[in-house]
Amino acid sequence: MNRRKALKRAGLLAGATVLTPSVFSLLQSCQNEPRLDWQPQFFTEKEATTVSDLLDMILPRTETPGALDVKADMFIDKVVAHTYDENGQENIRNQIAEFNSNCVENFGGDFSNLSKEKKVEVLKAAETSSGKFGRGVWGTGVGPQEPIGFYRAFKSMAIWAYTTSEEIGEKVLSYDPIPGGYEPCKPASEVGNKWSLG
Amino acid sequence: MANYNIDAKKETTYDAIVIGSGISGGWAAKELCEKGLKTLVLERGKIVEHVVDYPTMNLDPWDMDYRGGLTPEQKKKHYKNIRSGWVGQDTEHFWADDEANPYTEEKPFLWLRGHQMGGKSLLWGKQTYRWSDLDFEANARDGHGVDWPIRYKDIEPWYTYVEKFAGISGEPLGLPQLPDSHFLPPMELNCVEKHVKSRIEKDFPGRNMIIGRVAHLTQPHNGRGQCQYRNRCSRGCPYGAYFSSNAVTLPAANATGNLTIRPHSIVQSVIYDDKKGKATGVRIIDAETNEDIEYSAKIIFVNASTLSTTQILMNSVSDRFENGLGNDSGELGHNLMDHTYRVGATGKVDGFDDKYYKGRRPNGIYIPRYVNIDEKSKSDKFLRGFGYQGGGYRGGNAANIESFGAEYKDNILKPGPWEFFITGFAECLPYHDNKISLNKDVLDKWGQPTLSIDAEFKENEKALNKQIQEDAVQMLEKAGLKDILGFDNEHPPGYGVHEMGTARMGHDPKTSVLNKFNQVHGAENVFVTDGASMTSSSCVNPSLTYMALTARAVDHAVSESKKRNI
Repeated sequence: MNRRKALKRAGLLAGATVLTPSVFSLLQSCQNEPRLDWQPQFFTEKEATTVSDLLDMILPRTETPGALDVKADMFIDKVVAHTYDENGQENIRNQIAEFNSNCVENFGGDFSNLSKEKKVEVLKAAETSSGKFGRGVWGTGVGPQEPIGFYRAFKSMAIWAYTTSEEIGEKVLSYDPIPGGYEPCKPASEVGNKWSLG
Repeated sequence: MANYNIDAKKETTYDAIVIGSGISGGWAAKELCEKGLKTLVLERGKIVEHVVDYPTMNLDPWDMDYRGGLTPEQKKKHYKNIRSGWVGQDTEHFWADDEANPYTEEKPFLWLRGHQMGGKSLLWGKQTYRWSDLDFEANARDGHGVDWPIRYKDIEPWYTYVEKFAGISGEPLGLPQLPDSHFLPPMELNCVEKHVKSRIEKDFPGRNMIIGRVAHLTQPHNGRGQCQYRNRCSRGCPYGAYFSSNAVTLPAANATGNLTIRPHSIVQSVIYDDKKGKATGVRIIDAETNEDIEYSAKIIFVNASTLSTTQILMNSVSDRFENGLGNDSGELGHNLMDHTYRVGATGKVDGFDDKYYKGRRPNGIYIPRYVNIDEKSKSDKFLRGFGYQGGGYRGGNAANIESFGAEYKDNILKPGPWEFFITGFAECLPYHDNKISLNKDVLDKWGQPTLSIDAEFKENEKALNKQIQEDAVQMLEKAGLKDILGFDNEHPPGYGVHEMGTARMGHDPKTSVLNKFNQVHGAENVFVTDGASMTSSSCVNPSLTYMALTARAVDHAVSESKKRNI
């Protein structure tokens, strides 16, 4: 049971203020499960945990910040909450549930409950089974576009959320809001990381 | 920047009325005002004052709530436009509301509109090319449509005139099929584009690849700043570095003191006086109060954008013109054209990984038409021709790389692989049965009949597209690109946003709507100088020709008015 559900069941979200001993023990029993340190607007706590853990596996902290350092999980939650219509929201909810049930079936637990090694195996499998984006010109797909599975679509959203964050956009990628001119053939070494603005 | 006079309450009589403030309407306003005519511009949308009303011009992705994403309400508002891929959180406010302004697609057609002062001049692609006699003689040569009543020599001085004021950057080539403009210095090709250019020009004699000719300033011009290579044009440019009515023509019109611009003014019809045999004014509905108001003028320019202009003429009925103003020919609403769009090839380029660029150049390459330009280049598969736009850039899709984790993350922060693409724009023949009509069953928010659009590309355009794709693949192959993909998205008309025709110019009132000076046959004090007036579509981007036709028509209007001929 996740913490949010436990709280709900215990009536805490309905405004109960007195914690009885039985409620305490109920909450205690959930402490081994991964917990969020933020309040999602759309995702359930379990879904949000899956999202956060996926992000941390795909774009972990290295010498540069990771996806969680720039709050990509909170941003994705906000985007789904405010820019997806009901169908889109239901769809991503189902996809996360399906992703987790595949993890249970093939790896023995929800994604967030798996060991790092097993998480790697899950993602390796997902890399080969979730399709590839077709080509694009001027921001629109051209030529054949195969169906995209949850993992590939999520990874694309993860990259977007990460690279358009202020910290990555301004401090990690090469940031140049007003180039002032065009240098058509510049040694790539003089630029470093890619330009952040498209 | 001076504020605009938007007070059209006291005064209902003007020397001239201009309907619409986009690319051609802005030019009409400037020319009329500068010739001393008190001019009323009627704009159906809101005032968008240069710089002041560009709310997103300096926003980075992270400054926007959803970094460009649209809310479900916004997607609903733009439910048709969204197919174009152009509308985002940064420009949403400059695209028309599809729900309030419905249209019926009898066949698939994308109608993109900008309902505000400046219209689509805020949003356009800025590619600016002169047409040539290859275009103006095309109908006469192969018998499709009717002959243009003008030739290149008639419009040539007006191209020069508008170019000098607008500021067009580009490289002269001396090609007869794509005459040189009066140019500011060209933008530059990047290394991959230079490489592809040299291979194509070596292997395909007669084909050229140049930097796009564009209405972007490469040096300060007439008090406007030069391009800063931010590529945020469609949000409005704080430097005024690209041509828009808002930054260029309307401020000039305003500076004369002769301009009144009335926002929220939906033109219902042009008022025609059967006895006088001319138009006497314009009837509007105030979009906010629903009030009906009439304005009078001696000269009326209808520049509402191709389809909206014809919609107004169709709605302007009188005893003399029962089927729409100037429609003795029955051609009003017919011969709708657009360029084909998103057909070409894309590929990857090896060998330039140590090269990059600085600056986001709002421009790409152009390959001028090379088929059916003379006997030697004649095709037996299709009439007319095509040109290409495209470009080289470092891109790639990081999400497709089969990897994740620390190394992957550091890798995707580096510049992606070089890619290069070209995409063709083919000429569309003028077909009588590609048409629009008034739909009285579907009314807009203001109770006005809407448009039904019934148009499609036919065999000739399909044959052109086939050649575009084949040639594109072949050129990229010869240029040594890898992983080449030829594509044809088979877009219906409208996606090119070069809609033209429906009130064509011609010699004969029996087969055309406008004469050689863009005057409506039978209502010679009404002028149409936007895309509606086009007799054929060329394969070349049309906006520069609208500008030139407009300046030419105003010159004629004022001179005829002085002679009391209109």
